[in-house]
Parts: sequence; C-alpha cells; structure tokens
Amino acid sequence: MIFLSELPDLKKMEVMNKSFVIAKREYRAAVRTKAFLISLLLLPVFMGGGLIVLTLFKDKIDLSDKKVVVLDYSGLMGEHIIKTAENWNKNNIYDDKKEQISPLYFIEIVHPDTVNPLQQKLDLSNRIRNKEIHAFLQIGVDVVHPHFGEEQSRIFYFAENSAVDNVREWLSNVINNKIREMRVVEFGVDPKKINDLFYWVGTESMGLLKVDSKTGKVIDAKEVNETQAILIPYFLIFLMFMMLMMSAVPLLSSVMEEKSERVAEVLLGSVTPWQFMMGKIIGGLGVSLTTSTIYVLGAVITLRKMGMSDVIPYDVLPWFFAYMLLNIIMVGSIMAALGASCNDSKDAQAIQFPAMLPIILPLFFMMPVIMDPLGKLATGLSLFPLWTPMIMLLRQSTSVTIPIWQPIVGLIGVVLFTFFCVWAGARIFRSAIIFQGKRPKIGTLIRYIIKG
Amino acid sequence: MNVIELNHITKSFGKNVAVNDLSLDVPEGSIYGFIGPNGSGKTTTIRMIMNIFYPDSGIIKVFNGEQAGNLLDRVGYLPEERGLYKKMKVKELISFYGELKHVSNPSREADYWLEKFDLSNWAKKKVETLSKGMSQKVQFIITIINKPEIIILDEPFSGLDPVNAEIIKEVILDLRAKGSTIVFSTHDMSVAEKMCDFISMIYKGKKVLDGTLESIQKQFGQDTIRIQMEGGVSMLNGIAGIEKINDFGQIQELRMIPGTDSQQILSDIISKTRVTKFEIASPSLNDIFIRIARPEKNGGYE
Repeated sequence: MIFLSELPDLKKMEVMNKSFVIAKREYRAAVRTKAFLISLLLLPVFMGGGLIVLTLFKDKIDLSDKKVVVLDYSGLMGEHIIKTAENWNKNNIYDDKKEQISPLYFIEIVHPDTVNPLQQKLDLSNRIRNKEIHAFLQIGVDVVHPHFGEEQSRIFYFAENSAVDNVREWLSNVINNKIREMRVVEFGVDPKKINDLFYWVGTESMGLLKVDSKTGKVIDAKEVNETQAILIPYFLIFLMFMMLMMSAVPLLSSVMEEKSERVAEVLLGSVTPWQFMMGKIIGGLGVSLTTSTIYVLGAVITLRKMGMSDVIPYDVLPWFFAYMLLNIIMVGSIMAALGASCNDSKDAQAIQFPAMLPIILPLFFMMPVIMDPLGKLATGLSLFPLWTPMIMLLRQSTSVTIPIWQPIVGLIGVVLFTFFCVWAGARIFRSAIIFQGKRPKIGTLIRYIIKG
Repeated sequence: MNVIELNHITKSFGKNVAVNDLSLDVPEGSIYGFIGPNGSGKTTTIRMIMNIFYPDSGIIKVFNGEQAGNLLDRVGYLPEERGLYKKMKVKELISFYGELKHVSNPSREADYWLEKFDLSNWAKKKVETLSKGMSQKVQFIITIINKPEIIILDEPFSGLDPVNAEIIKEVILDLRAKGSTIVFSTHDMSVAEKMCDFISMIYKGKKVLDGTLESIQKQFGQDTIRIQMEGGVSMLNGIAGIEKINDFGQIQELRMIPGTDSQQILSDIISKTRVTKFEIASPSLNDIFIRIARPEKNGGYE
C-alpha cells in the first residue's frame, strides 16, 4: 500500500532520477576516453614532478676535479686552504662503498699582482674560460679584522656560475672557520676547546603531546618533519584544485558546446533545465570522486609501505572529501551557468580566465597560510565560503590545531553558499541555455537570477 | 477535449513582442499545424508550450494544467535546431533518451525503431558518421521513443528528402491513429494542407488564421481560377478582372478582383487562345499564406 504522503518523495526521486541518467552519461563519456586515462597517469607526474626530479638528481652532483686559484692578499689563508683541501681529498671523496660522492679540490696559490691587479684577474678569468681552472678566489688583506664595506676586508669568488656553486660555499666555510679560530686564539682561548666553542645544537621541531582516547595514556610528541608540515597540505590542496580543473571548470565549455551544437534544446524536451544542470554537475562529481579516491588511496598505501603512516592525516581526509564535493557543486553550478550564457568557443575563452580566477587565488595564499595557520589572514580567508574548502583544509592539514568552531562555521558557510550557487546558477542556466546572439552582460545575468 | 490550451499568451524579448495575445486550443487526437513566415513567433510559442520559455502573461494549459516538469514523459519534442551527442553510438544515444523518458526497455525500443527506420546497421556506429538524413531520423526516433501522448515537432520535414519525409509522415499518421496528438510547425503549405486537421497561422506574433482548412478557405471565398491554356501566361495580358497571377509554368493561378464574373474572364481568354483546363476554386493555403504574409506585394506576377 502506498501512502499519499509518500508521493511527493517518489516524484522527487523520479525528478532526480533523470539527473542521474544524465550524470551516468557524462561520467561514462568522461572516463571512457583515452584523455581521462592519460590525465589520470600524468596528474601525479605533474603534481610530484618537481619533487621526483629533485629526489632523482639531488645526489647527481658534478664530480669533476675542481682547481681553484687563490689570490691571498692577507697571506694568512693560502696554506690553510691547501691543507684543508688535502684533508678533504683524503677523507671526503668516497663513501663506504668506494663510490665517489664529492669532487677533488686542488688549490693553487698565486701571488697577487699589486701593480696591475685587473690584468691579473682578467688572465685568470680567461683561464676559467679555457677550462684550465674552475674558479679563483680573492682574499682581502684585512679579512681577519675587517672594516665594513672596504674591498680589502672582503672575499670575492670568481667563476662562470659563481652564484650557484658548491665550491664557493666550501671555501667560505674553510676561510671563516680559520678566521674565527685566529680571533679566538687572539683572545687567549685554548685552541683545543675551539671545537666545543663552535659546536652548534639544533632545535628539533616537535608536535604536541596528547592523550590516547582509548587507553587514557599520554602519547609523547612526535617530530614534525617538512613532509608533514608542507607536503601533505600541498598535496591535498593541489589535488582539490586539480579535481576542480578536471570536473567543475570543463562544465563551462561542455555546456557551451551542448548549447551551440543544439543538443541542449533536444535534451530540454526530456528534462527540465535544473535536471540538466544537476546531471552535468553530478557526472563531474563522479569523475572527481573516482580520480581523487584513486590518488588518496594510492598515497595512503604508498606512505604505509614506506613506513610513514604517522604522517597520513586520517582525521583530515573526511573533511577533504566533504569540501571537495561542495566545492565542485559550488564551482560547477557557476561554470554551468556561465557556459549556458556563452554562444561559442570565443565567448567561453573570454570568460574562462576571469571565472577561474577565484579558484586560482587561494593557491597564492598557500605559503602564508602554512607558515601561520592561526593568523588573522589564514582565519579570515578560510571563512570566506568560496575559499573555505581550500584554505580551511590547508589549515586543518597542517600540524597546528585549529579551533573546532572554525571548520564547522566554515562548512555551514560553504553549504549555504553552495545552495545559493546552485539556485542562482540554475536560474541563469534556465534563462540563457536557449538564447542565441550576444553574450549577456553581468547586469543581464543578475536580472536572470532575480527574475528567473 | 483540448490537450493544449493557450489563453492570451504574450511574450516579449526586450522591445520585440514575439507572441502577442495568442489564444488557441489543440483538440486531443488531432494533427495541428502551425504555419507562418520566419520570425512570426511559431518557435517561441512551441517553446512556451514546452515550458522552456515562460510567457510574460497569459495561461498555458497542457493536459488540463498539469505541471510541465511532470509532462515531459508524456510529450515528445523535436526542436527546429537540433543536435545530437556526436561521440555516442547510435543505439546508445537512443537508449539514453529512452531512459530519460522512463521507457521500460530502452534497448528493445531502440532496436525496434532502428529497424523501422532502416538504421539497424548503424546501431553501433558513432552519431558523427551518420548522414544528415540519418541524423534527422535518429532525432525523430528520440522524440517519439516513449510513444508520447502529445508530439510537438518544429519543422519536422525541413531538409529531408522525399523518401525520408514520407517515412516520417507515415509514422506521424500511425502515432495519431494510436491516439497521439500531433502539433507541428511548417513552411511547407502542401504538407499542412494534406496532413493537418487544424491549421493556425501566426504572423508578427498574432494569430491570423485558425480552424480547419475548409473553414479557412471559406473565409476567402472562391476567388481563384486555375487555368491551363495554349500560349501560357502571356495570353493573360490585357484580361480585365484579374488581381494577381501566380504562374507555375504549365498552369496559372489567377486571383479575381472581388465582384468579377469568372465566366467573363473565361470568355475573354477563349477569344485569344485555346483553354485546356479551367477550374474555379478556393485559394490554396500557399496563396492564403502569401496574401497574409506579403500583403504589400499584391498585384503582378509571383
């Protein structure tokens, strides 16, 4: 027996059913293509490309011999540099497996030409150009007790790529250690205690202690590394951004194409504009849920296999999916409405960048938010509904504890704003999907929202 | 009983009044034709019936006033400018629309219609590989796949060759025989004359004709002579009482000035040449259409 009160729900189900039929077609049309498979494979490469390249090439340093000429105006450093280089060459060139890990350093001391120093440095520059030497170093006469700004108080390193050169860094350390040593000896300190004097104790980054909810025991804090602090938030935000780019943003051109190719009006013979729009959004949602689930699962499994399961933010993952879902519906409705107002690809191209700007902007705030997740900027941005999904998630995925009311208020704001976007988007979509001719101006779109 | 009722419908786009105080009734089980020149408001009227556009004023009742959202499964709509998803396979596309219209077995229905329209060999091919005529047949299939009670067709025969037009005409008549009501717009007056039980002409947004072909022709009286004669149209020079000549080459259609005696015209022509056919008739729908749509061009040759 069917109660009368059940009928409206059945009708609603029937209405939604049409949206799901469209969503199913959209989903199939998207995931069955080669482009989808390729993007599924390429996205991680794109996301982690820089990191992979860095990891692969971080040990691939230049191992060729480095010959450096030293013009030591002070006369105090040359011998020390030669000895240090000899020690370096004995002890630091090979690892335990006898594989070379560092270049050999060869130092040549040249007496500085005080009559024509420029000509001497030009000759040395030409030797560098001819690949006879790697670099030359000029040490000022007053380098131990310098006078600020004077040339004779400074050290100059000349090389073809001097700004990015490990040899410069090595020489700088060698000379400065010697200078400090000389100064300390002048103060009368025992040279044997110099190592103790300069021993640097680092400050390790730790999380907070907490109580195990099951056992009631206090769990000691864990070290927070860069992966946890930056890479995890970066991964989640970038993934959400890519999902928006993959499923919500293309709705603009997809709806425009269906309008310009006159598919839209044929569909409107079978479905209402609202069902049409929601079908397209739900289809996109399905695509992004599939893709993001694959990536998140892939990342979780990989991190667990690598023994890094403690960096997986399990508590943040439900928020990620909730925010992503709402974000796609929110942005998808806006994009579908704008797509309905375009007549051809030129219109769509003209409108695409301004429409995408609000989605891209949160990415510019990533670093300031990660550096200070509890600051006014981060808090304010995360409560702006259009940006809440990305910025609030970014804050939540750092190791900092966000006041619990903020994600809840943020979520309520996003839900309300999403409802508004769907409502307004549907009114624009309905009014614009059939009209051909000039693309409506913002004023006309607002009129569509108000009048329907 | 009327399945569609329009009461004083007005629709404007900016300053342009597309449909102006239009009222009409479509009786159940009839074939109802909308005629009118381009831009007269036919498509806008059809879109308002389909609830794609809202009227600015007036009331539209379909099936006695049910909500349009619930009606889509009972109405088939073929728009004038129609497109299909090009990358989908033909049968897949038809099944998709069948599913949207809650057809119980969309795949079986798709097979049935593909067979009927001689498209079975194309079922697994992509829509983009179809010729224009085939695409139009597919578009027609997706309009009627759910055997709707009302079928609204905006220019269903435009661009079709005579063979395909004949197939679609047969299916329309068959659906009507099974109880569907057909509403279609057309520029082809001969189709409207032959197929429609009721004809409504819209001109500049207003209804200017409405009724059966017979009743419409009656309004214009028997003021037309169809004549075939040796020497053709040149023999009509100097004949009095003719308001307009429509020359078809082998046959000429003459419109008489009101009050003229047709026998006097016949007698004047016989005095000049040999007449092989002479018929006094009501004006054709085509002639009526032209009289209304081009009133300023009356007189002279067409």
